[in-house]
Amino acid sequence: MKAIARLTLLVCLLAGVCMAAGPSPEKPNPGEELERAGQVSGHYGGNLTIGGRAEPKTLNPVIATDTVSREVIGRMMADLIDINRASQQTEPALAKSWKTSPDGRMFTLQLRKGIRFSDGHPFDADDVVFSFAVYMDENVDSPQRDLLIIDGKPLTVTKVDQYTVRFILPRPYAAAERLFDGLAMLPKHLLEKSYREGKFVQAWSLNTAASEIAGLGPFRLKQYVPGQRVVLERNPYYWKVDSQNERLPYLDELTFLFVGSEDAQVMRFEAGESSMISRLSSDNYNLLARERDRMRAQLADMGPSLEYNFLVFNQNDLRSKKLDAVAQKQQWFRELKFRQAVSAAIDRDSIVRLVYGTRGAPLWGNVGPGNKQWVNTAIPHPQRSVDAARQLLKSASFSWNQAGQLLDSSGKPVEFSIITSSSNTQRMKMATLIQDDLSHLGMQVHVVPLEFRAVIDRVFQSFDYEAAIMALGGGDADPNPEMNVWTTSGTSHLWHLHETEPASPWEREIDQLMQQQMITLDYGKRKQLYDRVQQLIAEHLPFIFLATPNILAVANPRVGNFHPAVLDPYTLWNADELYIRTPIESAAAR
Amino acid sequence: MRAKTASLIVALVGLHLTLLLAGFVAPCDPGAQDRDLPYAPPTRLHFVDASSWHLRPFVYRWSAGPDGYFENKRQSFPVHFLTGGPAYKLLGIFEAKWHLFGVDEPARIALLGTDGFGRDEFSRVLSGGQISVAAGIAATLLALLAGSIFGIVAGYYGRLTDESLMGATELFLSLPWLYFLLGVRAFLPLHLSPARTFLLLTCVIGLIGWARPARLVRGIVLSARSRNYVLAARSFGGSDVYLMWRHILPEVLGLLLTQAALLVPRYIAAEVTLSFFGLGVNEPVASWGNMLSTLQQYSVLVSYAWLLAPAAAMVVTSVIYSILADTLHSRLEFRST
Amino acid sequence: MSYLGRRLIRAAFLLVGVSILCFLFTEMAPGSFFDEMRLNPQISPETISSLRSRYGLDQSLVVRYGRWLRSALHADFGYSIAYNAPVAPLLWSRAKNTLLLATTGMLLTWLVSIPLGVWAAARSGRMLDKSVRVASSLLVSIPEVVIAVALLAIVVRWRVLPVGGMTSMDDEGLSQWARLQEIASRMLLPTIILTLGESAIIVRHLRASVLEVLDTPFVQAARGLGIGRMRLLFRHVLPVAASPAISLLGFSLAGLLSGSLLVEVICGWPGLGPLILDATLSRDFYLVIGGIMLSALFMVGGNLVADIMLLACDPRIRTGALDAR
Repeated sequence: MKAIARLTLLVCLLAGVCMAAGPSPEKPNPGEELERAGQVSGHYGGNLTIGGRAEPKTLNPVIATDTVSREVIGRMMADLIDINRASQQTEPALAKSWKTSPDGRMFTLQLRKGIRFSDGHPFDADDVVFSFAVYMDENVDSPQRDLLIIDGKPLTVTKVDQYTVRFILPRPYAAAERLFDGLAMLPKHLLEKSYREGKFVQAWSLNTAASEIAGLGPFRLKQYVPGQRVVLERNPYYWKVDSQNERLPYLDELTFLFVGSEDAQVMRFEAGESSMISRLSSDNYNLLARERDRMRAQLADMGPSLEYNFLVFNQNDLRSKKLDAVAQKQQWFRELKFRQAVSAAIDRDSIVRLVYGTRGAPLWGNVGPGNKQWVNTAIPHPQRSVDAARQLLKSASFSWNQAGQLLDSSGKPVEFSIITSSSNTQRMKMATLIQDDLSHLGMQVHVVPLEFRAVIDRVFQSFDYEAAIMALGGGDADPNPEMNVWTTSGTSHLWHLHETEPASPWEREIDQLMQQQMITLDYGKRKQLYDRVQQLIAEHLPFIFLATPNILAVANPRVGNFHPAVLDPYTLWNADELYIRTPIESAAAR
Repeated sequence: MRAKTASLIVALVGLHLTLLLAGFVAPCDPGAQDRDLPYAPPTRLHFVDASSWHLRPFVYRWSAGPDGYFENKRQSFPVHFLTGGPAYKLLGIFEAKWHLFGVDEPARIALLGTDGFGRDEFSRVLSGGQISVAAGIAATLLALLAGSIFGIVAGYYGRLTDESLMGATELFLSLPWLYFLLGVRAFLPLHLSPARTFLLLTCVIGLIGWARPARLVRGIVLSARSRNYVLAARSFGGSDVYLMWRHILPEVLGLLLTQAALLVPRYIAAEVTLSFFGLGVNEPVASWGNMLSTLQQYSVLVSYAWLLAPAAAMVVTSVIYSILADTLHSRLEFRST
Repeated sequence: MSYLGRRLIRAAFLLVGVSILCFLFTEMAPGSFFDEMRLNPQISPETISSLRSRYGLDQSLVVRYGRWLRSALHADFGYSIAYNAPVAPLLWSRAKNTLLLATTGMLLTWLVSIPLGVWAAARSGRMLDKSVRVASSLLVSIPEVVIAVALLAIVVRWRVLPVGGMTSMDDEGLSQWARLQEIASRMLLPTIILTLGESAIIVRHLRASVLEVLDTPFVQAARGLGIGRMRLLFRHVLPVAASPAISLLGFSLAGLLSGSLLVEVICGWPGLGPLILDATLSRDFYLVIGGIMLSALFMVGGNLVADIMLLACDPRIRTGALDAR
């Protein structure tokens, strides 16, 4: 019975392969400066289907903000310098090499010669200059624009010759080449008209004809079916070849199904309608692992992610707001020993076990074990201790009444609520565990689940909350994206937003350290500076760090070169190298 | 017939008494976590051990192994009846420690298994039922009261009254309530006590829910008011209120009872949606709504069958209420003819 | 004034009222479309506020409503922030699928419920009646989401049907007939889920109202006259007992666009459900309001049909409903 089912599956797949065969790859010619992926091998053919949680909203790389759109667009576009998701280091992409001036302000990029967009049109420096003009245009409001404005000044781009571009930064910037990652190079010949007419924002919507869209990524648009799927096909002119000098990508087609939720992703995967899931929750991962006998799958646990979940107390300046009840509690929240006591009482191991089914790691600082390059391993990992927490509270003149309730120095019982997004089951569970943990200190904690945007609104705008469980990070391993979280003037300085002056010496020190690391070009020195930042954060606990989930992914056993990374986009970063194994190959791989 | 009614009464009293005395019937504190036993299957009651039969059932402890939980048979724990245990408040007033049954520490008896925090599902179903059933019934009464008043008035007076009231129902049925709920939540204080949550649930559901019953009632009233006896009563000078109360209301009673039996479980489940907006019963307090919401997760639904317990409890409640509605219906019919 | 004229005026009032209240509600709800960007430390608040003003979100409620009205008159119904496109075409491309699913579901629902309801009433107290009652209690008490996920899980595990979506990947190459089959097989599960949920309610109501009529003297008399059982039930009893059923039919029609949203989301049906849910949570207000307006139109239509049927079924109403009292 099983054999018959497998045979039919094979026949269907073969039929699918024959029918779906898109454009065949162009033979590499000597005029092209192609990138050779040394270790990669595979073979052509096949369609890979991925279930995505939602529908992309646009195919315009400059204005896309949602992760789903960016995931699809990322396969169709390429950047000048790319961050290799496996090594977390930069590597040449459309720029085959680059030089940095000794002061770290001038970058000269050498573009690949002879390569073409997915519509066959050649790519050169004019496209680069055009792309940056679009990204930096105030009227386009690209979310990437802020990256390119350093100290309020934009970086300048000049064309040196047809294949050389020069970037000048307003001041030295550490790891500046990482800025180029994710900035898709646009085809000037297709987009200039709409840009000049001021209609760039409407360009490349989902209904744009496939022939109007071209990029330098491994795939190009084939078809969009509203509400159902986006089908990409091979870009026959892609600029990478494998170890056999065969042009990548291997896949004929890459299909994104819109399935709605993670549970639906899992069900579609189990039903064999999709072949890969990018980021699984531990519940679903463990489910698939338990059912291994029934469902053959390549399960990948890539270890801790870069995301950090934390509990933050509201220390915002509430004088202009009418929030007296919260303001009264802020004297607790501003007390370091109070925060230390809370941190000491939280059972992080239980969080990892019960929330992440052991597929996660406890956190005591903002950089977790997943970020091997930057983590400060000297930060202590104290065991959970209710006694230590009680000592801390006692020394901060808190006391307990007959019923075991915690009272502050004025005799007011300690009671506060934690808000968290109701759509995130994991954080809801964390809140329930913390509520129980803190009840051992005599604190009465209320868990208040709110809809996601209502949480954001309270934390960023109205400040009408007492404590919140949230998560940040996960984008890049480098410290620079964290600038806005830890510096006083930062826009994600959640515990105290719009702070004009550093409230305390340690915050002042962090400001200085973060600024300094940003202009320090030497990795060793930067690491020292950032280690000190991590130490200060762990000592003063503006956030109480909880845990980080592992990056979990799954693929059908027939997907070859499946190597997920801990950085977004987790499984599809090497989409050009993925291929479909023959049944014999996949049996051998098992 | 009499035997049926008797068994119905027994079921009704049994259901509500169990819920009312949840603290006594349940062996555990519904909020108490046991972090070593998340998702433990139901504790098995044993009567036979290696040596002999026992009249008194006993249990083993669960131990976690690599392939899930197994019974640790080194030590057995007899089940005690009417025994001491965790403190609770009987009927919300009296401090008490007595439980219907229980086992000695360190063993635990979880008749319906445990949830993701190792909390006893049986105790949670019982204590959750208190707030859920009460809120479900209160909300149903509110919605049906409002619905039948507006429906009867609309159907009885017709014309402009009918048009405007039915226009209002259409308006209520079309609005994006989710945004309204979000707005309401923003105006409320962060933490809501269970009593306030109860009131809020009732009012919100009543407010959103009255429109459907109103339309159904109005449909019946439209035809009922032109029946001969109504016309006759009217020509004798019966006042409008008298006519509506005496002649129209009995016509819609059957409908209202059917609606009630359908709406009570619906409204209990509505809490699942409301808790998404922060309007539900919050942890660690149990309610059938927040227990059911974990069942929406595929991995939970297919892995831990015992977590279906709140759904089963709701089905039982719903069946009992529907039989009650039918019985009342036929009784009232009987009386009116 | 004619009956239809009155209904038209009421519909106009309704649409205006719904749109105004929609704007008020959206104003009440905290959060905006661009809030998610606040979580990204690399995007500055200036960029966010400039985006807000581009889409006119910083304007007053009255100005926004005025703009929306103008765009509604141009049949655009506003502009979706997420999709950067007018709302009407976005809605229409999915409304077709929703209508296909919901209409099928509705037909099946009524085909199942009418005979089942009448039959259960005719054999009240027997096995069939009891099982109908238990089944409907079951379906009413367990939230639709849980039922849907459970059914999906069964289908996935038994591999009896394709899961989710509407067409398969390679539907380009299929013949017309094969494509139809494909759509039908993918539509089966959502249709069943819809039917189960709806029928539970309708059967209950029908059973109760038929039972009520069966007790009345005229039926006893008709029985005495020896009218056949089937004929009695369906020709004489059903029309008299139909009132709640007709009102429910009105709801069914009114809910053609809005009733299947949840099922669509869970089954991945490419209708309005996923679109509107996503838009609601991401505060893409104009898309939501567009969807609401469209379903309000169906509400008006459905209730009109129900009222006309009420008149047709019971001629006595006509005198009351149409004339002055």
